[in-house]
Amino acid sequence: MSSDPYNAMVREYFADPQHAGDLEGAATGYFSDQGMHIRLAATVSGERITSMRFRAWGCPHVIAAAEAICRQYEGRPVAALEEFTSDHIMQDLAVPIEKTGRILVLEDTVRSLGQAIRDSA
Amino acid sequence: MKQPDNVYLDYAATTPADERVIARMQEVQTTSFANPSSSHAAGRQSMEVVTNAARQLGALLNIDPDALLWTSGATESNNLAILGAARHRAHRGKHLVTMRTEHKAVVDVFKALEKQGFAVTWLSPGDDGRVLPEVLADALRDDTQLVSIMHINNETGIVQDIGSLGRVCREHDVLFHVDAAQSVGKVHLDLQALPVDLLSLTGHKFYGPKGIGALYVSASPGTHIEPLLWGGGQQRRLRPGTLPVELIAGLGAAAEISAALMDDEYSRLTALRASLWEGICAIDGVHANGDLNNGYPGILNVGVDNVEGESLLLALEPLCVATGSACNSQSQEPSYVLRAMGRSDLQAQSAIRFSFGRQTAPADVEFAARTYRSAVERLRSIAPEAVA
Repeated sequence: MSSDPYNAMVREYFADPQHAGDLEGAATGYFSDQGMHIRLAATVSGERITSMRFRAWGCPHVIAAAEAICRQYEGRPVAALEEFTSDHIMQDLAVPIEKTGRILVLEDTVRSLGQAIRDSA
Repeated sequence: MKQPDNVYLDYAATTPADERVIARMQEVQTTSFANPSSSHAAGRQSMEVVTNAARQLGALLNIDPDALLWTSGATESNNLAILGAARHRAHRGKHLVTMRTEHKAVVDVFKALEKQGFAVTWLSPGDDGRVLPEVLADALRDDTQLVSIMHINNETGIVQDIGSLGRVCREHDVLFHVDAAQSVGKVHLDLQALPVDLLSLTGHKFYGPKGIGALYVSASPGTHIEPLLWGGGQQRRLRPGTLPVELIAGLGAAAEISAALMDDEYSRLTALRASLWEGICAIDGVHANGDLNNGYPGILNVGVDNVEGESLLLALEPLCVATGSACNSQSQEPSYVLRAMGRSDLQAQSAIRFSFGRQTAPADVEFAARTYRSAVERLRSIAPEAVA
């Protein structure tokens, strides 16, 4: 059992979050709860997400999870956002069970982004 | 520029054993392995080692070495002092006084006593982290038996005026216990002059070995404690068990070395703390949790607005620093010490404790300041505008 609370993926995504930032003219989803603040932004072409960016204020797992979502959804259909659940993120990032609520905030933000894209269509 | 593997700035959690301490322990392990309670020649030789270490520690504290009980560390010393004194005097009264900013090794003992029917008054510090003697005097009752207040706070470096607080206790015939885990070996402590009845210390906070500490029990009338352990006649039956001779020898050596280096180290640490603060104080929203003028200079606790504490700690790697006390650092809960000083949850959660020591070089502190500035800037740059 590792005494490191962060696995390699969390460390990589936290140290070098390539998708941190903003996008010009993008639809955005924002959620704030449990002391976390997360904003996701996406540009869309047709039915596909072309680019995603995030801004996050939270623990390393939340920042890494936001980065992971951006990496995961770029190039995928917008509809995929609707199917997002936090299970894979929890597993891939080895998020401790006591932080589940924080990752659920991210889930709400993804939904909020999906709604924003639909509203702007 | 190559980044170092790590820069250790967590000396308040523990210090590396001095190489002279290690050498002394290695020597004793081979030459004085016998049980010091044995009456044969080898046992007497071990007891001589123990006696010598007590002299070394006694000289550091200006006490009769016979007033020392060897323990496993400050946690045990605190338990023995507080439980032992409270139980011994319970027939006289069951009211006790301590502070909200004490180490867990004191807080949890008092909580246990509350469950056993004792009444505890928890003093809150002022904004400066200190408790005033008049505040302590107001808290004392006719049935108060024990006051326990730490000397140097492990999170903030705030120094309590144990001389004035102890005098209040003496005036009211109340025992005064001091958790001095962070101060022994670092600042001058003259227990002949200070009105302290019981004092806890541990070796690993001042370059001695882990697993060994001591409790000073004043010889003054009325200072009695009950043992927590039973099983032998060692140490006046107050703390039975075979004495770990090499650890005791190491603690004695650490005490002697610290006494010799103390003044120079204090000056050096003062300069290091000033340098770090100068390197980060211009950051918007940064504040020191402690007293930069009168606090112990080996600790600088820094908070910063609008930065999440756990992420800050990770972004500060390879700095080895702490968010709270080491014993509490896994929880990531906001520090109860800082909360008791009036800091908000958010302010307390962003707090980082830098603590310096014998091996800290000016270059380490310059690196720490650069790393801190860069970490705060980076985390703010990825936060939503509403927060940053």
